Amino acid sequence: MIRVELSKMLRSRRTWSTILLIDALPTLVAVLLAVTDLGPRPGQGPAFLSAVLTDGTLYPLAALGIVLPLFLPIAVAITAGEAIAGEAQQGTLRYLLVRPGGRTRLLVAKLVSVLAFVVLAVLVVAVTAYVLGITLLGSQSLTTGATSVSGSSLSTTELVARTGLALAYAMLCMLGVAAIALFLSTAAESPLGAALGTMAIFIASTLLLTLEASDAVRPYLPTRYWLAFVDLFRDPILWRDLVRGSLLQVVYVGVFLAAAWANFATKDVSD
Amino acid sequence: MTSLRRWCLVALGVILVVAGPLGVRSWPAGENDVGATDLLAQVRAAAEQPYSGYVETQGALQLPVADRFTDVGALLGEQTRLRVWWRDRDSWRVDRLLASGEVDLVHDRQFTTEYDYQDAEATTSRDPGIRLPRTADLLPPALARRLLEDVADRATRVPARRVAGVSAPGLRLEPGSDRSSIDHVDLWADPVSGVPLRLEVYAVGASVPGFTTEFLDFSADEPARSRVTFTPTGSTEQSFDDVLDIADAANQYAPLLPPDTVAGLPRTAASDGAVGVYGRGLTQLVSIPLRGREASPLRAQLRRTLGVVVTDTGTVVSVGPLGLMLTGEDGDGGWLVAGSVTAQTLSDAALDLLSGTVVVDEGQDR
Amino acid sequence: MIRTQSLTKHYGRIRAVDDVSLDVHEGDVYGFLGANGSGKTTTVRMLLGLVLATSGTIEVMGSAMPRHTLDVLPQVGSMVEGPAAYPHLSGRANLSLFDAMGRGSKRAGRAGRVDDVLDRVGLGGVDRRPVRAYSLGMRQRLGLANALLRSPRLLVLDEPTNGLDPQGIRDIRALLLDLNAAGTTVFVSSHLLTEIEQMCTRVGILDRGRLVLQDHLDQLQRPTGRVLLRTPDPERAASLLVGRDVEVHADHLLVDAPDAAVLNARLVAAGVRVDELTPERHTLESVVLAASTASSDRMERA
Repeated sequence: MIRVELSKMLRSRRTWSTILLIDALPTLVAVLLAVTDLGPRPGQGPAFLSAVLTDGTLYPLAALGIVLPLFLPIAVAITAGEAIAGEAQQGTLRYLLVRPGGRTRLLVAKLVSVLAFVVLAVLVVAVTAYVLGITLLGSQSLTTGATSVSGSSLSTTELVARTGLALAYAMLCMLGVAAIALFLSTAAESPLGAALGTMAIFIASTLLLTLEASDAVRPYLPTRYWLAFVDLFRDPILWRDLVRGSLLQVVYVGVFLAAAWANFATKDVSD
Repeated sequence: MTSLRRWCLVALGVILVVAGPLGVRSWPAGENDVGATDLLAQVRAAAEQPYSGYVETQGALQLPVADRFTDVGALLGEQTRLRVWWRDRDSWRVDRLLASGEVDLVHDRQFTTEYDYQDAEATTSRDPGIRLPRTADLLPPALARRLLEDVADRATRVPARRVAGVSAPGLRLEPGSDRSSIDHVDLWADPVSGVPLRLEVYAVGASVPGFTTEFLDFSADEPARSRVTFTPTGSTEQSFDDVLDIADAANQYAPLLPPDTVAGLPRTAASDGAVGVYGRGLTQLVSIPLRGREASPLRAQLRRTLGVVVTDTGTVVSVGPLGLMLTGEDGDGGWLVAGSVTAQTLSDAALDLLSGTVVVDEGQDR
Repeated sequence: MIRTQSLTKHYGRIRAVDDVSLDVHEGDVYGFLGANGSGKTTTVRMLLGLVLATSGTIEVMGSAMPRHTLDVLPQVGSMVEGPAAYPHLSGRANLSLFDAMGRGSKRAGRAGRVDDVLDRVGLGGVDRRPVRAYSLGMRQRLGLANALLRSPRLLVLDEPTNGLDPQGIRDIRALLLDLNAAGTTVFVSSHLLTEIEQMCTRVGILDRGRLVLQDHLDQLQRPTGRVLLRTPDPERAASLLVGRDVEVHADHLLVDAPDAAVLNARLVAAGVRVDELTPERHTLESVVLAASTASSDRMERA
């Protein structure tokens, strides 16, 4: 069943056009940076963007910082929102359920396919960003070594390992989005409703983060630790927020997957 | 399984997941029967204790300052996240963590290097005797050391509190002088090493602290030497700065010598130039001579602040436990007097400064 | 094959299905007849475990549903409320996907199975165009092909001839009868009397959520005991049959007679010319109308 869902996801034209769209923004930014050579003012703009002008190998991280706050979650919310509600709207849900693999397994298969989408999207962004960074912005670190956020030097192995960890962390954060969208997908009538509901939750969370009055709930907001991947590039790595962020996402995934199961396992399918 | 039963199961799981961390956090701190005097002695004895950890400071002091004072305003008015490795007074590193970068101070004997990731710059300067507050001054141990200078301040015990995972016995310090604008400072220290872990500063009449600094992760082990050395990489621009900030500049170059006592507070040994530091412990003030182009924007800013009082001598503003006064009129230079003292003390100090300052011959080498 | 007991489904305060006890035997072609909105589709969904009954029990192939969904459904082929497919994929790709889903699906022979069912429903020559470009009839055939994958023992089809032209309807009917002859039990729900009449051996009639009748089609269409008589001499015939219950219509007579042959002999003996003489049978329509109340989508003013 998981294989079927994966093949459905990979064969869907929407998957690839979405990934292409996500990829377009960092590509545009890279071209503009290379042409104008104007970085953002320090303290403004996404993480690492000011650093990439001298070192293109950091561009995958800058690209991650560009797509992580908005583009990627939207894409994930749409894809995961499709999962159940989309099948229901298309009428195929009932045919999935009468070829029984079990409803819980269907949910898991859907989550795995969304996860695969996330991995694919993040990797495509990272690889194109790396190629663009090297070709358009130059690759100083290959000769002198990259500079960590704390000013010490990072060897190429360290840089690669930490970039890999950052990508994995971003994927985990997106899995949290996917779980929420999947739950809403079992509850909403239309896939668009599920996607919009998920986006509403994340916009609300982002808004609350900026509010001092929401101090008490801040550590529980789903977007609270999203940008903590920057901490991987401090020296030594600051694990505090990363660990909390990972645990928080795991809890979100667990809770919303359980809620999706509770809602869907005996839901009347009458579309 | 019915739908209801499944939802109950999910609800139970959510409750467990939410209640777990909340329960751990609200676990009461174990009380410690150490006396106030003993605890105070222990904290004082820990002045040279090495430590490392993660600190968050939260200031509610919205200082009406800009330009050259912005950094100080941000330090006292916002949340700051710091990482610290402290071997001893001469060798430490404090990182200020920003969302997309950091600004680090690395101290090696008399030199401090400030590294700014986003500018890719490392600026080294000789540590002056007089300077504006910086991140390293706001660490609980550093702030406590400054506040504890005044032996006359009275100390009593307050209940222990869980800080950075340890049950830390608490101490309340009250100023010995009625010139102080600080009502009290609560301090919680590590029961083993005696290093202060959390400090809360309360202004007179305030029910919530105006400034809080606390360790969220703490270790009393000595950090490795490699942690407190800064080795710039090829892409970092390095420079050396003769003058650290406006206070240092005024202290070095203003041809003035302030009086030995203002508002009844004696000048400390640390101030040997144009900038005066008076009083000690919870009752301290600093006076900085400003030129017209530095004083005017600041004066304009102070005037716009809520609760500003404009007297014959100058412009006075109180922000929580901090008071600021700038003497002189529009276009003039003047004395910036600031400290944890009452508005009356500021005015008295300003008058003493205006009458008692000696102008040094510019040609004379100090 | 299918047995339900007091099957009931409430949607809020509305009783969509009320106390339905179906009994479908192995080898039946069972016609499940009812007006639109009478609860047919809800019942079919309950049989397949898509909708959960409020009360009552369901047994399919001897196992309780929906508890044993995973064991039962692989042996059931179904089409519920119209076909559905992934519009961006071809019919063949769709069938491969559906075949790969669920338990115990083997990769080996998948292409063969898919080609086989496509042949059976008359889509053997279909090209690679996506389902999006299919006509309504082609989609219907594809849905049927999907139901036939894995050679089910029981077919549950909801309105299988929807959207088909007369030729298509005949094809499908022939296919279903073929399958039935080979041992497949077929459960067809429809609101079309003729469709049921031409295909089914047993009939259940649903009216406003209640099963009002369930019997063999032969039994329902049994003779009424009257004979339809068409003759150029209606007056003579009528006078000859005095004493019997005779209904005179414009072009025929309805005569109460247990045996048409005896009646014929008598008429011919009396010199009455006979154009046509047929024993009258109950029509399914009359049975349905007698058993049902007014059409359920009609909203009369109170």
